[in-house]
Amino acid sequence: MPAHSIFESFLAGQGCALFEYLGDGDFRLLGEWPDWCANIWGAQPNSDQPIGLAGKSPFLGNFLVDAEEFWRTRSPGSANSGNWIERGADGREIPMEATARSLDGKRILLLQNLSETFGQQQQWFQTARNSLLEHEKLLKEIQKKEILLHCIVHDLTQPLSAMNGVFNLLERENLPAALRKYIKAGERESQRQERMIRGILEAFSSDLAAQQSRETSAAEAPDLLACAKQAIEEFSPAFRERQIGLSLGAHAGSSRGWRVVGDSSRIDRILGNLLENAMRYAPKASTVTIGLENHEGFVLAFVDDEGPGLPPDQRPEQLFALFSKGKSHAGKAGLGLYFCKITVERWGGAIGAEIRKGGGSRFWFRLPRVSQSAENVTTAASRSKSVDKETPHSHKKAEKSLRILIAEDAELNRDLIIELLKKRGHVAIGVTDGRRALAALEEHDFDVVLLDEEMPGMTGLQTTAAIRRREAATGKHQIIIGISGHATADDEHRFREAGMDSSLAKPVEVKTLYKAVESAARNLHSTAAHSQPQHAAEPGAATAPAAAPSVAAQARADSSAHAGAENEDALTHLRRTTGGNEKLIRSLAATFLADAPKALGRMRSAVAKKNAAELASAAHLLKGSLAIFGAPKAVASARHLEALGRANNLREATASLRTLESEFALLQHELRAIHSAAKPKSQAPRQSRVSSKGARQKK
Amino acid sequence: MLQKKVCMLGSFSVGKSSLVRRLVESMFDEQYHTTIGVKVDKKVVNTGGEDLTLVLWDIYGEDVFQKMRMSYLRGMHGYILVADGTRRQTLEDALALNERVVAEVGKVPALLALNKSDLTDQWEIDPAREAQLTAAGWTLEHTSAKTGDAVEKAFLHLAQAMLAK
Repeated sequence: MPAHSIFESFLAGQGCALFEYLGDGDFRLLGEWPDWCANIWGAQPNSDQPIGLAGKSPFLGNFLVDAEEFWRTRSPGSANSGNWIERGADGREIPMEATARSLDGKRILLLQNLSETFGQQQQWFQTARNSLLEHEKLLKEIQKKEILLHCIVHDLTQPLSAMNGVFNLLERENLPAALRKYIKAGERESQRQERMIRGILEAFSSDLAAQQSRETSAAEAPDLLACAKQAIEEFSPAFRERQIGLSLGAHAGSSRGWRVVGDSSRIDRILGNLLENAMRYAPKASTVTIGLENHEGFVLAFVDDEGPGLPPDQRPEQLFALFSKGKSHAGKAGLGLYFCKITVERWGGAIGAEIRKGGGSRFWFRLPRVSQSAENVTTAASRSKSVDKETPHSHKKAEKSLRILIAEDAELNRDLIIELLKKRGHVAIGVTDGRRALAALEEHDFDVVLLDEEMPGMTGLQTTAAIRRREAATGKHQIIIGISGHATADDEHRFREAGMDSSLAKPVEVKTLYKAVESAARNLHSTAAHSQPQHAAEPGAATAPAAAPSVAAQARADSSAHAGAENEDALTHLRRTTGGNEKLIRSLAATFLADAPKALGRMRSAVAKKNAAELASAAHLLKGSLAIFGAPKAVASARHLEALGRANNLREATASLRTLESEFALLQHELRAIHSAAKPKSQAPRQSRVSSKGARQKK
Repeated sequence: MLQKKVCMLGSFSVGKSSLVRRLVESMFDEQYHTTIGVKVDKKVVNTGGEDLTLVLWDIYGEDVFQKMRMSYLRGMHGYILVADGTRRQTLEDALALNERVVAEVGKVPALLALNKSDLTDQWEIDPAREAQLTAAGWTLEHTSAKTGDAVEKAFLHLAQAMLAK
């Protein structure tokens, strides 16, 4: 057999067919016409006749464009088509691949039947993709359970919060000592139950949340020494009350740093759980010590007590099991140490307990240390620099204190704006609607009025019209800035047409807010200094001060500068919008957690009772609150529900409400984490309402 | 007869092959068979009294293992972007893929099929999102390759759009 025949037979045996390209989509067969080619394209053509392969297969025709380019440019190597499937005359599917090569100046095309290897490849992909689908399903199930759990916990804690409130009120009454004792006991027990319910939530949700909330960069990673110091500060009063000492022991190897993988709020809780545990068992006049040791690759933290040691009937590891609890403390849920264990293990650490040589017990955990690589240090330095640059500037006192009236029906939004303006040194007064704004303007002079577009009774645009009508008689010009849920150029135009001077988009960002009010006021003063007041102003006409730079446009630019902002979590969003004011963030979170569920409840009830107007009103309020925390999906759902309510179309309301509830639960979860990360002393009372003190009384 | 190349695009396991199979063979298989590579089928449809051959390129779904070759889109007259309505992420992935497609081939007629509409209890795409997409200019169909709901309608709609262009 001639050599070329052997080669051709070999190729055919390998499932290959070889062609020479003649141009114009035609090929000449080199060697044998395999059976599978016959199955797809019919009997072997006459050897003298060119084969129009490109016309026979659309896929091949498409690949030929690439192959021709490959041959024309005399590129090295080969061009490959990727896999495709042809169907044979017998109905079988034949997986194929085409390869273009240049050999001896000839343009060669190799067609390969992949039937033999394709099955294996298919199986591999099938398995991999099935696994991905299973993984997706599992995550979805976990998320569903998380949401359900949050709802249950929310329902359970709500009455307890009310009970706590009642106990608080009773405590302030002038009651006999015996009654006060009972009230105190009731309050203590309801608080304990609340903590236990929260414990359940944290234990069961920590699986996902712990994975999501871990920092591994040196710049962001929690500092275990700082966490320990904070824990001591927080627990010292309770220990003192029990006459137990609490101290920070020697921390070995401190030069290496104490930054570990994890999340500081959860580390605080772990240390808290271990300290509570020690406090229960430590005898009076003894000392509990928190210690830290720096080892290769990890940091060890421990809490030593001088109590009776570990329970003799339990192995140390059993203490960290779910619902494990000592017989003498039957009231405990047995979740605290379990929570510590799963959280630490999720971060790649370990936890344990042992009897100390000198008596007492040691509860310890270790977490991987985050190395301070040069890159991280640089990142941290640059990040802190940018924060330094931004935050103090944002809250730097304004050159001139302005008197500002804010009309906004959403309480949380109103509080946020007032608080931000106060930080800047302005005097701010909040009212809930347009009518009250008009009344306030009768009583006081304001440099700037901020009006929400949508308010019950009298909208921002209607209020503006009323103010402008009044000005026709006085010749004055009140600076009015509209606040809108959107920041489109159309909104801005609409606001200006209605007589407003500028507009702001919700959620209001600190820098944009300051810029809007201060530049508008500055423009007014400079106009006033150079010209006499004019009369009979039409809305938006020439009496308006030189327009403040388009704040909404600026907001749009800012928001595009924050590309990806829609994916940021609530805390990141709040830090950005409040200029990093942690106290304000916690206060906003607390207010939202207390008030927003009521708005959601109103919406549920409105949907159940098919009360469209009530749905629109409650959805509008909730939308405003949600926007403060970013939460674009929740805002979109609330907006949709508001629109449904306004259109008196409740057909889709149940489904949309369900979506909103899911997003709401996720936001609540985030805000609870923010709230619980706060020190007890800062959890307290909500922002007090701003009084009108400071606004100039009208003569 | 007039021929138009139509590509089926979207993530893996959204039902691209099932939609083609439903259209071409009026069949549906409950079991998921992943597609590797490209499969080309043809279907003659009649729109406005005119016969038109749709050359359907069923292109493997994108995932971490396989990225789509843009050269497959050459000469495409229209495409159906398929998302699985029970997996919200596939819609976002499809829209991201769409941006690459538009950057590569420019604007051609397209339709967004939210597939698996028979699985109403698992539906994850809320009306507000759909309204956003419609406002953004998308023609949307809730299809079910399983029941056949809106499958032919979707292809006919695209056929009309391609002929009108």
